[in-house]
Amino acid sequence: MSVAVRNRVRVLGNGKATLVFAHGFGCDQNMWRLLVPTYADRFRIVLFDLVGSGGSDLTAFDVHKYATLQGYADDVLEIVEEFASAPVIFVGHSVSATIGMLAGIKAPAAFAGHVMIGPSPCYINDDEYVGGFTRADIESLLDTLESNYLGWSSNMAPAIMGAPEQPELGIELTNSFCRTDPEIAKHFARVTFLSDHRAELPQLTAPTLIVQCNDDLIAPLAVGSYMQRKLPNGTLRVIDNVGHCPHLSSPGQCASAMDEFMAVQGW
Amino acid sequence: MATPPEPDTTENSLFDRAPCGLMRCAQDGRFLLVNRTFCQWLGYDAEALIGERRFQDLLTVGGRIFHQTHWSPLLEMQGSISEVKLELRHRDGSTTFPMVVNAVLRMANGVKVQDIAAYVARDRDKYERELVSSRMKLQELVTESKRLHEEARDRALFAEQMIGIVSHDLRNPISTIQMATTLLQRAALDAPQRSIVERVFRATQRANRLLVDLLDFTQARLGGGVSTTLQTIDLHSTIREAVEEFALKHRGRLQHVTAGEGACTADPNRLVQLVGNLVGNALTYGTDETPITVTSRVSPESFSIRVHNFGPPIPSDALGSLFEPMTRGTTATSAQRSVGLGLFIVRQIAQAHGGTASVTSSAEHGTAFEINVPRTT
Repeated sequence: MSVAVRNRVRVLGNGKATLVFAHGFGCDQNMWRLLVPTYADRFRIVLFDLVGSGGSDLTAFDVHKYATLQGYADDVLEIVEEFASAPVIFVGHSVSATIGMLAGIKAPAAFAGHVMIGPSPCYINDDEYVGGFTRADIESLLDTLESNYLGWSSNMAPAIMGAPEQPELGIELTNSFCRTDPEIAKHFARVTFLSDHRAELPQLTAPTLIVQCNDDLIAPLAVGSYMQRKLPNGTLRVIDNVGHCPHLSSPGQCASAMDEFMAVQGW
Repeated sequence: MATPPEPDTTENSLFDRAPCGLMRCAQDGRFLLVNRTFCQWLGYDAEALIGERRFQDLLTVGGRIFHQTHWSPLLEMQGSISEVKLELRHRDGSTTFPMVVNAVLRMANGVKVQDIAAYVARDRDKYERELVSSRMKLQELVTESKRLHEEARDRALFAEQMIGIVSHDLRNPISTIQMATTLLQRAALDAPQRSIVERVFRATQRANRLLVDLLDFTQARLGGGVSTTLQTIDLHSTIREAVEEFALKHRGRLQHVTAGEGACTADPNRLVQLVGNLVGNALTYGTDETPITVTSRVSPESFSIRVHNFGPPIPSDALGSLFEPMTRGTTATSAQRSVGLGLFIVRQIAQAHGGTASVTSSAEHGTAFEINVPRTT
């Protein structure tokens, strides 16, 4: 199976450096739609879906390979190898920031730098460490996913919802974003929210930007500053945003944080 | 995003008393409007919600993570989200309500708002949980059934291998008995002794045939067919020799008929074995003293061997499975019968030659087994 089909890889834009965008849990590459136009005229852009999400090939989903985030990181290395040209800046949202970190530690030469949007190396509180959640919270999430089959796979069109007035969404565009098999979603949730990669943070030596929202349930402020302390070459930027997806709700602030970071690095 | 008309949200309006929860929230989830139905379900006054709380604050922690990772980005990208099920907590904290929630993103007074409708769906929740648990049970059953199936297959394979090993290893002691019996037959024996040796000799021959059948059976089952060594032969003389082995003992009953020139390509040893099996059956099941006819026929297109006997017909419902292993065309017990591999091996030999085996049986015309092999060269 080709990497392009497995991960539904899309390449666009032109430029000397490549931006590889990786979506987080619960969504797919569509979540970069507001940032991509900002960079397409200056960078080569690689978009993809993690296996098990969006338009990826669900038959490629292997519970053993994807039992850890390393399985996803290995896919990232294959995507970068085939579709990116150096220098490569990996832009990962949420769990994909960690996936990018694991890929960067395994193959440091493949990445010039990392942009982490709302990252968290560990979601569960542990002694002094504040991840934001208890194990029971994560169990409650798994229960929500378990009983939410239609929440993942519902096909109801926006028009039926009484919202036909959105010009950018054709009537034929039903709920085609962020759909996945509920079983896979549950598996990915378990792997994501029970992961703990705090120990690897000191091994990521490439320049890294942490984009931290000032009000984010999934990645609280304390996590952002923890990461900055542990990353050898980390820069923390806190932006004014409520929620976990600033690239959708505050794309302008996201872009200016990224621009500033990349300008310093000379990309 | 068009601006919808301002709703009538006054007390006792349709909005206020609708049979579902209705609310308008800011982009960050903060309540701007909420109806009485929703407030009553969750034990809040409207004042305790509007401006004070966000929609996601009413969710369980798991629901909030789902809201942040799936609901929010999807609503932002798609403009609407439907049929999401979330647990909303009552103000007292002790009870939760499963609700099905739809939301639409709109512009109101120049800012993005989310219009949300929710209804309590306890029965649906219960039903869906039952579905999930049934599916899990079903998966367990499927896993268990697969395991049992594999176990059974392993056992069957083991049994077949065992048959192969045992029949192979039995050949040596039996051939020792056979040789010893042959030597004894040459010795000076009185009549009762000679009769005993004769019986031992015949029994040993039967045991030998049985072993050959068993070995061929295991080879056919485990190795994908019986082996053949093809060569150019004269079919008629090969079959004549096979028939003559029986003719000595059953003088007058067996006749051999030929048709066409005899040259063809086949494994002569296998054909002798095949004729032996078919004639053995004819002698066992055919009516005593009636003729048994073996016909060998060669034409430019094919060659065939046919063995015919008179006698009670094979029941028509048994004809279809006659060539399967462990099948017999009759329920009559007989000291002569084997374990039922003879016809299976006949078909295997026919197939190993690229041909087919068939049978016809009636009270009027008797029973005829035939193998037909196309001549490809």
